Amino acid sequence: MFGRIAFMELKTGWKGLLIFGLLVLVISAGIPLIFPTYRNSLIEELEGASKVHLELPNEQGGMITLSWETVETATSYMVLEDNRSSMVTAKLKYMGNETSITFEKDFEEKRYYAVMAVLNETSDPVLVGITATEKGEDPFQELLKNPAYAGLTGGRSISMLEVKGFVALEYYSWSWMLTGLFIAYLSVSIIASDFENKRMDVMFSAPISRRRYLLEKFTAMSFIALFIVLVQIAGLTWGLASINALNEFSANAVLLSLIGSLPLLMVTAAVGIATAVLFQKVRTGMGITFAFVFAEFFLYTFGGFSKSLEFMKTISIFKYWDYFSVIVDDLFKAGDFLVLTLVVIVLIVTTIRVFEKKDIPT
Amino acid sequence: MDQEKVIEIKNLTKMYGNHVGVKNLSLTVDKGEIMGFLGPNGAGKTTTIRSCLALLAKTAGEITIFGLDSHRDAVAIRKKTGYLPGDFGLIPSVKVRSYLKYLLSLHGCSSTKKMVSLAERLQLDLNRKTNELSKGNKLKVGIVQSLMPDEDLIIMDEPSGLDPLMQQEFYRILRQEKKHGKTVFMSSHNLAEVESVCDRVAIIRKGQLIVVENIEVLQKKTGKVLEVEFRDHFNIDEFKFKGVSNIRQDNSGLILTIHENLDNVIKALSNHQILNMNLKTYSLKQLFLKYYAEGKVDERGGA
Repeated sequence: MFGRIAFMELKTGWKGLLIFGLLVLVISAGIPLIFPTYRNSLIEELEGASKVHLELPNEQGGMITLSWETVETATSYMVLEDNRSSMVTAKLKYMGNETSITFEKDFEEKRYYAVMAVLNETSDPVLVGITATEKGEDPFQELLKNPAYAGLTGGRSISMLEVKGFVALEYYSWSWMLTGLFIAYLSVSIIASDFENKRMDVMFSAPISRRRYLLEKFTAMSFIALFIVLVQIAGLTWGLASINALNEFSANAVLLSLIGSLPLLMVTAAVGIATAVLFQKVRTGMGITFAFVFAEFFLYTFGGFSKSLEFMKTISIFKYWDYFSVIVDDLFKAGDFLVLTLVVIVLIVTTIRVFEKKDIPT
Repeated sequence: MDQEKVIEIKNLTKMYGNHVGVKNLSLTVDKGEIMGFLGPNGAGKTTTIRSCLALLAKTAGEITIFGLDSHRDAVAIRKKTGYLPGDFGLIPSVKVRSYLKYLLSLHGCSSTKKMVSLAERLQLDLNRKTNELSKGNKLKVGIVQSLMPDEDLIIMDEPSGLDPLMQQEFYRILRQEKKHGKTVFMSSHNLAEVESVCDRVAIIRKGQLIVVENIEVLQKKTGKVLEVEFRDHFNIDEFKFKGVSNIRQDNSGLILTIHENLDNVIKALSNHQILNMNLKTYSLKQLFLKYYAEGKVDERGGA
């Protein structure tokens, strides 16, 4: 009867799956819980901008006046200048006791100024505020203009002050790494370990075909992937409900956005099964499957860098899991779901064909 | 009348790259017999067996089992075959009973009667976990799993390694299986085992079949070895009869191989004072070594 092998796989691996499920549950439920604290801190940071004032000249070559509110405990102030909101390449513009400086506008592009108060010699300076020569969105919106982030969001404007934006960038954008790599590991090991531990001969002494064997193993992986996705849905829903943010999502948005990841996980499982059949070694199969997952992710990321690189996105499986579309636009792309499902079918059928012709080593 | 053939191998060749696994091997196993398959490591025994079960793809040749093609009809053949691999692993951390029941279910069987009976006879504790088993107990699990589906053909790759008492019980089980009309094809290093249970033996070397013979006929062909120690003097020419070979003197003794006319030798011996005498049947080991030393490869492909 079909299902015996799949059932045995689940029966022998349920403890590990349960532990992993608990980890996924805690992470899925925990991340939304961080949101209120994160939002408050971001608002505080943005409010800091009002403590810093910038007077711009009407013409190029005029003088800029930067002033800020006094911090009572400050012994001195530092002004950092950068053309990026992240301030990662900032240069020291000023250091002293004044609360206002004037300097020439000898540049055209947007500049950012961060004012820091030095309280004493032993503690780090504290941020008084950040301002820029052009008015814009909050610093995270600026950051999202980076092509790498734009690639992730599908060019959508995502606000980190909203729970949707926070969950999209702080949960969905990396959760695949947790679930995908777990599926990659399991799918390789459930077959390659049968080779390595010499269980194949006993398995194929029974009247089962190689096709049935692979299909049953794939069925077991499908149940495992579905279980993980359901745990993710439950955890995220729980977390969002705990901060009363569930109503900010349209009905079924959490469900559909994560169900959309199911074929992505199944492609990973199919690749894992294929490498296990081809190489018959857990380590080799796992290395190749992990490399596949990361390569696909980088293809997707680099594909967002410019129009000429967009073809890279097309061949990435990550293009076909557009969770932003569900969360932000309320649109579940059934076509993407079908494309990945088709890839899974092609991979599994090809793997069966290869396996039917291969020797089973002793 | 021809015996019904259960396994029929014709000109089987299996190459591993440039290395020959089995070359042009032909062999048949008849219904209801226990066929032994002897050869040293790397001779091609396991390759032949695993080719029969479609675990290896043939390079050339044809294998039919129950008249079915070994590869095209692999699943149908395995419905009627029990198999003990030479080297195998078990699913870890499950009870032996649960593991065996799982394998039974893959065979489409639900009755555990034979499984329990075999386990009792081989003193296998079904409540132990698979990862707690000794090598001998693991072999018992393998033997039970190959016999419990009660199939018509039993293929065993090196089923030795049990303690002597259990090994004897295992031979009794095999003989009973034969009585019930089952066919057994087993490879072995244990020559005494083959002598003890097999009806016929096939000897393989470097992927080629040397001989396939009924064990008794084989022993008759190669003769019996007589070792005699004399109290008095003797002349080696006294024992040169038709049917006597390999006559040689060893200190005060005489060693010769008798194929026929044992009477003449006994009569010649009666003229002497005998200190000690030993008549030995060629053990299969000696047969095995003899064939290897002579390199008598049966170019016709055995049977």
